Amino acid sequence: MKKVITVCPYCGSGCKINLLVKDNKVVGAEGANGVTNQGELCLKGYYGWDFLNDTKLLTPRLKQPMIRRQRGGDLEAVSWDEAIEFASSRLKAIKEKYGPDSIMLTGSSRGTGNESNYVAQKFARAVIGTNNIDCCARVCHGPSVAGLMTTLGNGAMSNSICEIEDTKCILVFGYNAADSHPIVARRILKAKEKGAKIIVCDPRYIETARLADIFLPLKNGSNMALVNAFANVLIQEGLFDKEFVANYSEGFEEYKAMVAKYTPEYTAEITGLDPELVRQAIRMYAGAETATILWGMGVTQWGQAVDVVKGLSSLATITGNLGKPNVGVGPVRGQNNVQGACDMGTLPNTLPGYYYVTDAAAREKFAKAWGVASIPSEKGYGLTDVPHKILEGKIKANYVFGEDPLQTEPELSLVRKAFAELELIIVQDIFMTKTAMIADVIFPATSWGEHENVFSSADRGFQRCYKAIDPPADHNVKDDWEIHSMMARAMGYPMKYNNAQEIWDELRGLCDLYAGATYEKMADLGYVQWPCPTEDHPGTPWLYEGKKFDTPTGKALLFAAEWRAPLEKVDADYPLGLCTVREVGHYSCRSMTGNCSALQTLADEPGFVQVHPEDAKKFGIKDQSLVWVSSRRGKVITRANLNNRVNQGAVYMTYQWWIGACNELTVDHLDPISKTPEYKYCAVKVEAIADQSWAENYVQTEYSKMKADMRKAALA
Amino acid sequence: MNRFVIAEASKCIGCRTCEIACAMAHPVGKGADMLSPQNFSPRLTIVRAGTITTPILCRQCDDAPCVRACPSGAIIYGQDSVQVLQERCVGCKTCVVACPYGAMTVVSVPAAGQAGSMLVSQKMKSEAQKCDLCSDRAEGPACIPSCPTKALHLVDKEAMAASLRKRQEQAALNLATNLQF
Repeated sequence: MKKVITVCPYCGSGCKINLLVKDNKVVGAEGANGVTNQGELCLKGYYGWDFLNDTKLLTPRLKQPMIRRQRGGDLEAVSWDEAIEFASSRLKAIKEKYGPDSIMLTGSSRGTGNESNYVAQKFARAVIGTNNIDCCARVCHGPSVAGLMTTLGNGAMSNSICEIEDTKCILVFGYNAADSHPIVARRILKAKEKGAKIIVCDPRYIETARLADIFLPLKNGSNMALVNAFANVLIQEGLFDKEFVANYSEGFEEYKAMVAKYTPEYTAEITGLDPELVRQAIRMYAGAETATILWGMGVTQWGQAVDVVKGLSSLATITGNLGKPNVGVGPVRGQNNVQGACDMGTLPNTLPGYYYVTDAAAREKFAKAWGVASIPSEKGYGLTDVPHKILEGKIKANYVFGEDPLQTEPELSLVRKAFAELELIIVQDIFMTKTAMIADVIFPATSWGEHENVFSSADRGFQRCYKAIDPPADHNVKDDWEIHSMMARAMGYPMKYNNAQEIWDELRGLCDLYAGATYEKMADLGYVQWPCPTEDHPGTPWLYEGKKFDTPTGKALLFAAEWRAPLEKVDADYPLGLCTVREVGHYSCRSMTGNCSALQTLADEPGFVQVHPEDAKKFGIKDQSLVWVSSRRGKVITRANLNNRVNQGAVYMTYQWWIGACNELTVDHLDPISKTPEYKYCAVKVEAIADQSWAENYVQTEYSKMKADMRKAALA
Repeated sequence: MNRFVIAEASKCIGCRTCEIACAMAHPVGKGADMLSPQNFSPRLTIVRAGTITTPILCRQCDDAPCVRACPSGAIIYGQDSVQVLQERCVGCKTCVVACPYGAMTVVSVPAAGQAGSMLVSQKMKSEAQKCDLCSDRAEGPACIPSCPTKALHLVDKEAMAASLRKRQEQAALNLATNLQF
C-alpha cells in the first residue's frame, strides 16, 4: 500500500488528501496535513474517490473515443486518430466557413487541473483564434471576479482561509459554509470559539446561523438593499474609518449620496428586517478590530450580483478591513478549481494571469510566446451567452471540456433547443453526461488521480496533485492537455508537451503573478499563494499590503447601486420563490459523486424540495411525499422536505439531481455585467401527487431508463 | 460506568460525515465492499431540530431500558457498554420503543446461507442495531476521527471525572466571585 498526496477534487477549500493505493487501485483516503484542512476532511474528501473504479452507479466512465457520424445516430467507438481527424476537420471547416468566433470552448473548473486549462485557452486563442472560452465561474463567482476586479483590482479572496479563525468578526452573507465548504465552516467555528462575533445574512436558518450573534433573515432578493442600509448606518453614525477612506479609497461622495436614502427604516419593507437589528449588526462589524466578509452563491447568483459584490467590497473598504491579516473580502469559490480555471485565463476577457485581452502589450507577449501573429483583442462570449448566440446563428460549434451544461445551466429547455442547432458538439470528459449524450465527438480523458496537476484553492493557493494510479488497462484515455495538443496539431499548430510541468513552466514564464510558483515549492504539502512574482518569494497570504490596491489609481473604489427586484414575480399561479442550493454530499453535475457508493447512498434521486411547514399545509404537501414542482419553463418531480429552517414563501432545491433537475425550472435572467444567471429566484408552484405509489414507480422508471441509456451509449 | 460517544451540538455543522463513517464501519451483509441503500445503516443519525443540529446515538445507559425490555436476552452489558447479541434478536422492536433517545433501530439483513445449502439463501434476519462503540475496531469508534469539526467525543470514566472536576472548579469560582450575603 502506498500513499499518494493529492488535493480533493470537490470544493475550493483545497484539502490535501492521502490516497491509499494498492495494486494500481485507490482503496481509501485519509486527511493529509494541508495548509487549509490541517488533516481534516469532510464526507466528500473521505468517500469521494470510488468513482475511479467505474462503479456505474450513476453513469459509466468514458473509455474510448467516440464519434456520431449522423445526428440522431448512435455513437461509434473509433481510434484516437480517427476521432481527432473527424473532430479537427469539422472544426476547421466551421472556422473557415463562419470564422473563428463561430466556435465556443470551455475550460473545466473540475478535476483536470490548471495545466490543461492553460492549454485549452491556448488552443482557443492561438489555434482557433477566438476569445470564446469560458468556465463555470460565469455561473458561480463571476460577479465576485468582475466586482472585485473593479473595486480592488483583484477578483479573488483578499485573505486566506486560515486567517478566518483569527478574525474578530465574520459577516457571512449568502454563504452556507456547512454545505458548501465544511472545512471552511470549521474555521468559522474556530473563530467563534476564539471569541469572534458572527453575523449571518441569509433567508434560511443555515447551520452558521446557529452560532450567529446576530442573524438577519432577509427576504430573498433584497441583498442590495441590505448592503446599502449597512453603508447608510456606517456613514450616518460616523462608524467608518475616515483616515482609510480619505487616503486609500475614491468615490466616497457619490457612494454617500447613493446610500443616503437607504436607511434601515426605508429598506425594512424590502428586506423584511427590523431596522434596529440591521443597525446592531453593522455596528458590530464596524466595531471589531478585524472583520472578514464571506459570501457565496447567495450573493452572486442574482440578476443584481456584481453591484452587491462591489457593495460588500465597499463595506470592507470604508471600515478599513483590507490590507492586513485577518480581514478582507472572501468570495469562497465553489468548485475545486474554479479559481484555477480563472487564473489560467479560461475566461473570455482575460489571458492567463489576468491580463486583459484588450491589453495590446499583453497580447503581443502571448502571441510571441505562442508563435502566432496575433491574439484576438475582442472579448469573447460567456457561457451564458451560448444558447442565445447559437439561436442567433453566431455560434456553430461548441467544444465542451469537463462540464455538463445540459445539467448545470439555467432554463435547460432553452439550452437543449439551442444545442440542437449546433453543427458540431465536442465533449471531453471522464463520464457520460447529459451533454455527452448528444455530442458528435467524445474525447475520453484521464481522471483526477490518474494524472498530475496543480489546483488553485479558493484563497489563491497553488497546490500539487500527484498521480495515484494509471488509468485501468481497458481505458483508452488521454490527459486533457494531450487531447487539446492533438487537436492543435491536426489543425496545423505545433503543440507538444511531454508532461504537465512543462506546461506549468511555460505559464510561469508568461505571468508575473505566478512566476515564482515552481513545482518544487509546491512539492508534497507545499502551498504557494499568488501573487508569487519571483522564485524566492514565499507567496502572498493576504493582498493589498500598504493599503495599495491593484486598481489603476491604486485606490479602492467605493460603489453602491439602486436595489433592483428579482425578475420574476410570484403570483397566484406560481406563488413560491425557488432558490437553488447545494447538497453537502454531492458536487457539481454529480457525475463524479453520483458514482461514489457512500455519497450516492446518502442522497439519491429525485432529491428534495425544502418547504416551510406552513406553506406545505397551504398546498397540501406531506413530508417526504413526491411532489411536482413547476415554473413557467418546466416541471420536475422531487420529494418534499418540510423544514422550519426555510422561510415561508420560498422553496429550495439542490441542483445535483438529474431527474429532479431544478434547472428545468430556473430562469435565464442574467446580471448585466457578469452574465451570471438568477439561479436564486424564480416563481414556482408545488403540487401534491395523489397516487404516491405511481409517483415512486415513475421516479424509479425514469431513473433506471436514464441510467440504462447512458450505459448503452457508452458501450458503443 | 459505561463508556459512550456524545456530540457537542455547538460544533456540529450537520455534514453527515460521521453517518457515513459509521455505516462503513458496520457493513451489513457479506461481501459488502460498496454501500447501497440496502446496506446503509448508520447507528447515529444527524438530527436537525429547531436551532439544534447534532448526531443522536446510544448513551450506553448504565441501567438501560433496552436491556430490561428485551424479552430474548439479546441486549447485554459488555466492554463497558451495551451490546446486542444478534443471534438472539427476534426483531420484536421492544427495545426501539423503550429507548428514550431513539438510538435503537431494528433492521432486516440478509441471513447467512445454511451450510451445504444449494440455494443462496434469501432469508432475512432481524437485527437490533445501535452504537456498539465499534467494539471490533482497534482504533475505537470510527465516527470520532471522521468529524471535521471534532464535535464527537468518547466519554469514559476518566473523561467524565475530568469534566466533573472542571465544572466543580468553575462552580467554586463562580461562588467566590458572585455570592454575597
